[in-house]
Amino acid sequence: MGNVHKYAKVDRDILAAMGKPGRLYLAGLAVTASLVVIGGILWAYQIRNGLGVAGYTHPVNWAIYITNFVFWVGIAHSGTLISAVLFLFRARYRTSFNRAAEAMTVFALMVAGLFPLIHLGRSWVFYYLIPYPNQRQLWVNFRSPLVWDVFAVGTYFTVSLVFFYVGMLPDFAVAKRYAEGIRKRIYTVLSLGWKGTDREWRHYGMLYLFLAAFATPLVASVHSVVSWDFAMSIVPGWHTTIFAPYFVAGAILSGTAMVITLVVPLRKTMNLHEYITDDHFESIAKILLFTSLIVSYAYIVEFGLASYGENVFEKEAFRYRALGEFRYLTWAMIFCNSLVPLTLFAKRLRRNTTYLLVVSLLVNVGMWLERFVIIVTSLAHDFDPYVWGTYRPTYVEVGISLGSFGLFFMLYLLFVKNLPVLSITEIKEHL
Amino acid sequence: MGDRRIFEDREQFLEALRRLVREGVPGERIRVITPFGVPEVEEILPGKRSKVRLFALVGAASGTVTGFAFTILTSLSWPLIVGGKPIVSIPPFIIIAFALTILFGALSTFAGFLLLSRLPSLRGIRSGEEYGNAFVILVEDGERR
Repeated sequence: MGNVHKYAKVDRDILAAMGKPGRLYLAGLAVTASLVVIGGILWAYQIRNGLGVAGYTHPVNWAIYITNFVFWVGIAHSGTLISAVLFLFRARYRTSFNRAAEAMTVFALMVAGLFPLIHLGRSWVFYYLIPYPNQRQLWVNFRSPLVWDVFAVGTYFTVSLVFFYVGMLPDFAVAKRYAEGIRKRIYTVLSLGWKGTDREWRHYGMLYLFLAAFATPLVASVHSVVSWDFAMSIVPGWHTTIFAPYFVAGAILSGTAMVITLVVPLRKTMNLHEYITDDHFESIAKILLFTSLIVSYAYIVEFGLASYGENVFEKEAFRYRALGEFRYLTWAMIFCNSLVPLTLFAKRLRRNTTYLLVVSLLVNVGMWLERFVIIVTSLAHDFDPYVWGTYRPTYVEVGISLGSFGLFFMLYLLFVKNLPVLSITEIKEHL
Repeated sequence: MGDRRIFEDREQFLEALRRLVREGVPGERIRVITPFGVPEVEEILPGKRSKVRLFALVGAASGTVTGFAFTILTSLSWPLIVGGKPIVSIPPFIIIAFALTILFGALSTFAGFLLLSRLPSLRGIRSGEEYGNAFVILVEDGERR
């Protein structure tokens, strides 16, 4: 087969994924959209009636909403790892995952960004966090981790969005060639008139390299900043120096799991076996295993520090975490994040996509539980036994959380039918 | 309009490009259109290193300066002591300056790319000229590309 025909086949195969949606796709879209509507209604209900409809009780005033924030910011991380870090390391298998992972990053950050607003209760005053001259004689406190979050997550979202768009720029020029009607016009405008001249490619290569270089430190910095939301306080179970690397490793673990969760069905339903091979899955499974080992090490260190230290509050916080009323969640977290991924030492299992999908779903559950356990157990059981309390989520919180999953998967489903799901030009380059 | 050669094969295209340069056709008159980035083109048509790097450097540096200037100067003009910390608390301000370094650097690099590649190009958007997956060499008659 001539080169041009091979390239044309890549175009057709990848753009075929954007063809007419099947019943399964429409059903998925209907389910996710319904969850979004339910979540939206419940948020409106919460705005109408106040935060009292959430299960917050003294002393647990951060719970599921903050869990969701940390979870979704974490999910975003693997996208940057795959698109930027693996690009700098010239790991070829990234081309199978990078587009899906970049889309995942952008969508996860969009969802994550909602939770501080939802948790705020009076969502309409969120702009108090943005530093600009105003008549209220208020200014933000740059020493507060919550303000660092605004800068870190805001930067992360903007850079990820630019990276996502830049990656697609040459692909839009391909997509417009095959599209018709309004779609053709949209892709044409989005391609900015890209022709593929030597001048464009030269500057593009440099741009991509620099964006990857700018995005790479964000993999480490953003979740470190998120972890400092906790570590900067003095609450036992939160106030620890290992939080930044611990959270970063956890973020990459959960994000890698989510990439697998998204790409396994994508490959099957869109017939992309030729471009996303078992070898590629094996490589990504190794990242999952590696980050799981780091997270397990962090769990051990965390309990170790508490047990051999002389801080009674810290000791009690970790005894409560392991044996208190949320013990089943802690055990489930260790099972999902530390024990299940160990099976990936077996090569056969790393190459079995169905098994990988199951592992990735369990890790997703485990990582959500990890954040819940860290946040809720530490707050429920801090210094003074007189103020110890507990927490039970209400249907409003559960509904809004499910709505966030609905929103994420709905955006992803819309992405696979409207934008090229793999990097067409990069795949051609490696043919 | 000058000479236009279209190739289906990457190697043949590169060979033809090398021949053109050997024949003494100045690089400024050669324009190449490819379906994906071909690193060899940059080696064959030398002397054209991208200036996008400068945009990255200037953007990132201005982000760092802005981050520190913004936090320090505004804190000094609103000197409210919180948690017993100094008004100018450098460690937390580094985080803001770091975020702005990345933000300004990335945005400025993107802007530099658009400027240097002359995108968005209205002519490109309107034109129906399309070479698909072919490799094209355009040799222009005039002095300028």
